[in-house]
Amino acid sequence: MPVALLALWEMASRLALVSPRYFPAPTTIGAVLVDRLAAGDLGAALLVTLARLGLAFALAAVPGVLLGLLMGIARPLRAAVEPYIAFVFPVPKIALLPFLLIILGVGEPAFVLTGAASAFFQIVISTLGGVRTMDPRLLEVGHNYGAHGARLFWKVILPAALPAIFTGLRLGLGLALIALVAVEFIAAKSGLGHLVYRHWQMLSTPEMYAAFALVGALGLLLTRGLRALQARLLSWQEESF
Amino acid sequence: MRRFGRWLAEHSIAVGSPLVLLGAWEWASATGLLREAFFPRPSTIAVHLRQLGADGTLWGHLGATLVRIGWAFALAAVLGVGIGLAMGLWRGLREGLDPVFAVIYPIPSILFLPLVGFLVPPGEIAVVVTTAVTSFFLIAFTTTHGVRQIDRLVVEAATHYGARGWRLFTAVLLPGSLPSIFTGLRLGLGFALIVVVAVEIVSTSRGLGALLWLSWQILKVEDMYATFFVIALVGAVLYYGLAALQARLLPWVQDVADR
Repeated sequence: MPVALLALWEMASRLALVSPRYFPAPTTIGAVLVDRLAAGDLGAALLVTLARLGLAFALAAVPGVLLGLLMGIARPLRAAVEPYIAFVFPVPKIALLPFLLIILGVGEPAFVLTGAASAFFQIVISTLGGVRTMDPRLLEVGHNYGAHGARLFWKVILPAALPAIFTGLRLGLGLALIALVAVEFIAAKSGLGHLVYRHWQMLSTPEMYAAFALVGALGLLLTRGLRALQARLLSWQEESF
Repeated sequence: MRRFGRWLAEHSIAVGSPLVLLGAWEWASATGLLREAFFPRPSTIAVHLRQLGADGTLWGHLGATLVRIGWAFALAAVLGVGIGLAMGLWRGLREGLDPVFAVIYPIPSILFLPLVGFLVPPGEIAVVVTTAVTSFFLIAFTTTHGVRQIDRLVVEAATHYGARGWRLFTAVLLPGSLPSIFTGLRLGLGFALIVVVAVEIVSTSRGLGALLWLSWQILKVEDMYATFFVIALVGAVLYYGLAALQARLLPWVQDVADR
């Protein structure tokens, strides 16, 4: 089916049924993709995006998981912090960009933090959910066998919350990618998102589609890869979204 | 009144902490601890929000955004549920479309703006279609999943009792996949808001995203905060409103999105 679609597109474009200017043939795009990858600029843009993504993810994951766990264990903390998390969670994080641009100036920190914010709230909420929805019987059994404090946390609470934490990290990474590409499209002057924007403005469509395809491949790799990793590491867990 | 008192006592921290924070912010900005140019006082922001509302600016932008979300969501919902159901029911279609969807879905939807602009007339229609893209895939995925996770025994029992075709669909398959569909619709609506704000920043002069970006460009920081507050409010209403609606309509459902 994908092959058939591509072939159809190729034909339509070659026969000029659709405007080849807007919809260049897939083989043309493929050639440009290989060409630009060989020239190095496409790879450089990919690396920039990946570096931002990695940094944003790390900045979100560590405090996000910690805060989520703490909120799950300490009730007063949860009561104090939950309103903010709940208020900001459904907000499109791209709306934070102008604030970060004002406070931090136009530059990498503002871009990366927008991506990190996008992932952070998802990770906190998933982690908290994992702690809160764990089977209370597990806690009781742990108690009865004399696990308290740190031991209870490491041996019972953390393993029980692990699947939810992993799901949070997976969703968070996807959200960070979405936010970062949008930031690159809007404000940054580098990265794959910017590449699509620039080639759109210049109407150099084959280059635009090439960058577009690379973002798609990256997204596919991340979502499929992490899902496979989750299935392997946490094989007792039911498949979920 | 006494019930309210008890509720307040139980949620004292949850109610108190934002109040304390707002108070501290007000104080810090007033005394110059926070730079007022970046962190205007909450009271100043409230005044600006009132002005934006009073002269009608806010309502125009809010209306534009809501109309776009509405159209995009309707488009995504109709197509997503339709195709999702079809994919759930027919294996051939599912196996054909799955790889195509899997490649397109993770692409951040803002990138579709140029592409959509080639396909449909640029302007309002392109904005709506771009906003609908990711929601569509989400809804289609969850709907397919909803049909597929129906207990085979239930379907078999229904066929033994003579339910076939249309009846099987309306009496068993559709109700069975409803919880999943609703979750998809909810997530899709949330995504529509995310995308519409981004698209408005890039390509329109009306809408909350455009207002936010414009306020930044001319450094009207108070308006920026006020707009952000409104966007957050829209997000909260959509998200928690639908969660409440789902809890009321489908009380037996454990939300799959929360797992």
